[in-house]
Amino acid sequence: MSRHVWRVLALAVAALTALTWSACGGGDAATGIGAGAPAKGKKGGTLNALFANDLEHIDPGEAFYQPDYMMVFAVHRPLYSFEPTNLEVASPDLAAAPPKLSDGGRTVTVKLKPGVRYGPPVNRTATSADVKYAIERAFTAAVPNGYAPTYFGIVEGAPEPGRKKPTDIKGIETPDEETIVFRLSESSGAFIKALSLPITAPVPEDYAKRYDAETPSQYATHQAATGPYMIEAGKDGRITYEIGKRMTLVRNPNWSAATDFRPAYLDRIELTMGNEDTTVAARQILKGKGLINGDFPPDPPVIKEAVQRRKSQITFAPLGNRYISLNTKVKPLDDVNVRKAIVAASDRNALRLTRGGPIVGDLATHFLAPGQPGFEEAGGMKGPNLDFIQNPDGSMALAAEYMKKAGYASGRYTGSETLTMVGDDSGVGARTAEVFQSQLQKLGFEVDFRQVPHDTMFSKFCNVPEARVAVCPNVGWLPDFADGQAWFDPTFSGESIVPENNSNWPQLDFPAINEAIDDAKKITGQARRDKAWGKIDRMVMAQAPAVPWIWDKQANIASSDVQGAIARWNAQWDLSFTSIK
Amino acid sequence: MTTPGVDARSEAAENRFATETIQSGAVTARTPPQLFWGRLRRDKVALCALGFLVVLALIAIFAPLIVHLAGVPGPNEPDKSTLDSFGLPTGPSGEHPFGVDGIGRDVFARTVYGARVSLEVAILATALSVGIGVIAGMFAGFYRGWVDTAISRGIDVLLAFPILLLAIGIASACSFGRGGSSGCLGGSVKPGLALVILVIAFVNWTYMARIVRGQVLSLREKEFVEAARSLGASKTRIIFREILPNLVAPIIVYTTLIVPQNILFEAALSFLGVGVQPPQASWGKMIADAQGSFDTAWWFMVFPGVALLLTVLAFNLIGDGLSDALDPRSDR
Repeated sequence: MSRHVWRVLALAVAALTALTWSACGGGDAATGIGAGAPAKGKKGGTLNALFANDLEHIDPGEAFYQPDYMMVFAVHRPLYSFEPTNLEVASPDLAAAPPKLSDGGRTVTVKLKPGVRYGPPVNRTATSADVKYAIERAFTAAVPNGYAPTYFGIVEGAPEPGRKKPTDIKGIETPDEETIVFRLSESSGAFIKALSLPITAPVPEDYAKRYDAETPSQYATHQAATGPYMIEAGKDGRITYEIGKRMTLVRNPNWSAATDFRPAYLDRIELTMGNEDTTVAARQILKGKGLINGDFPPDPPVIKEAVQRRKSQITFAPLGNRYISLNTKVKPLDDVNVRKAIVAASDRNALRLTRGGPIVGDLATHFLAPGQPGFEEAGGMKGPNLDFIQNPDGSMALAAEYMKKAGYASGRYTGSETLTMVGDDSGVGARTAEVFQSQLQKLGFEVDFRQVPHDTMFSKFCNVPEARVAVCPNVGWLPDFADGQAWFDPTFSGESIVPENNSNWPQLDFPAINEAIDDAKKITGQARRDKAWGKIDRMVMAQAPAVPWIWDKQANIASSDVQGAIARWNAQWDLSFTSIK
Repeated sequence: MTTPGVDARSEAAENRFATETIQSGAVTARTPPQLFWGRLRRDKVALCALGFLVVLALIAIFAPLIVHLAGVPGPNEPDKSTLDSFGLPTGPSGEHPFGVDGIGRDVFARTVYGARVSLEVAILATALSVGIGVIAGMFAGFYRGWVDTAISRGIDVLLAFPILLLAIGIASACSFGRGGSSGCLGGSVKPGLALVILVIAFVNWTYMARIVRGQVLSLREKEFVEAARSLGASKTRIIFREILPNLVAPIIVYTTLIVPQNILFEAALSFLGVGVQPPQASWGKMIADAQGSFDTAWWFMVFPGVALLLTVLAFNLIGDGLSDALDPRSDR
């Protein structure tokens, strides 16, 4: 499901940089931009966003990672999308109003805005049938979508993913051009939130069909925009996108400001890829004109420089969490007291310094991050009332007590098992892992530490239960949208454990937690939902399946003439709200 | 080093040495070791290098004591109080003479402990590769025929191997994997210093074998071998008692030239993450860790880098010195 944190982490590692994030409630006291509602900007100008790597996906049906979203949400209009400062409630975008629920939450009706038109070469009004087709094509092998089955699998008649051709989904009805009705097999709070994912951005079937007939689909390079911007087209009609080099966004002539909440100040946005030396790129941004960072966060030395001397050019966007998973299926970590001892011994302050210190995040005391629905219910900043997560510098005395409870009379581990640990082989992740290794050794554990590239760590080790990795120090979560289900269902539900691509890294399979998650999924009322997920957070923490150690704030930087706006739901710059001073 | 001037001077010195011996009245023939030592001790550069290596060996052996005496924390003890509020390391200071690294470990302690790794590799890997190389080379040269063909073609194959890729392949294949298995061959082969030593030995014996083979090919035709053979000496005796002593000089010279290669190879493997495993300190690994922050924290690359440079240089200089001393006529 939420793979984008992996991507973010991978990028960070690839670039040998620190990915950074932090505390609650819109922006940081130390910084000016990005906090509160975005100020009104001046129309016109060109912005240049520097990227270290290429965009992973530009097709709205495939886009999944943070940098993808940065571009896709300026070019496409899903049914709902988030305004920069709002993390919890999506605003109607292509839709005209919030969804109407009936039949006990099992029927969801959405009315579309009239007069939202595609840019060239399609030049017609977007209809409800286009939204239906957009979802149907995301179940094909030509358009591999990471989350379609997770959130849209409960639509009646939804096929298994990987179809050869788009198949008609009976549970999506289009009684007229401006109405779309979803019939679900059960009520689901997450489904309504998932309508804000780019899978619901319209795709014109008549035009896109021939491109979707190829595998992979060629629609990405022939896409039709509904948003304020479109990828500049060449003479042959194909977009002028040089893979790995640059992409230019220009105004979509058919976009009408009257139908959109996006101000779209800029005339032109250049995305420049291949800035592999991110330190150089970050310094260019700070000293240059009209530049912002795209996919990479600045390194700690640049953060320090910016915070000390260029405060107005750096901002910190809170996002997800990071934790060290402890495999509950591997000896001796199958003993809850051993896990509690490890959590108690963890020096979270030292761990946080490996990423850049207090400025890049708050010390985590549980999983749900600040600002997320259910955060206060889960214990807020102080955390749940559990002694083993109280001391931010770790407490060896308390750890020794828990080790004694686990049957190790000396208060240190004296068993014969060696803990296998797989972590990043470079960058900040490697530092975090080495610090944690030294903390485990203080408790008497022998640690067999294998260093591998970040994506290998997931694909070959931490995501594979059969690999029996005891400790995964470089994992974290960034939900698809702000909702407890997106936080806990993939990560701590026993039912989510799968042989490959597993994201329940501690392999926590605790019946009471599984049951609570199943019940909470069906709740549609926001307040009750928050309470339920907050309680689940407490239940998970009581089992000590991981050491949550930071709620990240991602650092973003801009040139001094850029009036930036951070999309809080994506923790990156929002191109449609950013302007040139 | 061997400019004509130096050669003339050393010849003069040798004459003086001879004259002194005559004047003292006791005319004794000098044994080859005496000749060798007499030449070597006049080579100031080689003697300095030798002195440096002796000091280095002492540092490696007494690493814990030195770190204790210097009053710095151990090599694997991160100290968060040495980092600033941005998590950036502090430079050289009274408490940490070489500064600290990215997670607050003392660079001095790590550099000192790193010497252990380099010397272990220098000694063990070289001994292994020389041992294999000499034996294989002698057999190939002495027996010729199919033995020679097999060994020589084997060497050709090994020389064609992309060595770094081989090492990386072994390391990733023999780490722990599915089902909780650990290492290859029942856990005996897994990433770490032992694997580094084995890989280096496996690769580097070929050079020695080629050289030895060439020498043996000419030695086996010499009269003293003929004589031994006609006296009915066994082949083993001829190989080890007649031929081997005549190979000592080239073996020593090439050994000293292999050593620095091996040290650099360990550094490269550790740099690539295949060598020593964290938290163990090795110069190559320290340099790898430091590469991201060289512009802001120069100290944790410079100190291990300088240590590596000096060590490799010292071994190379000694190699030169030995080859001059063992064979002063050699034209280099």
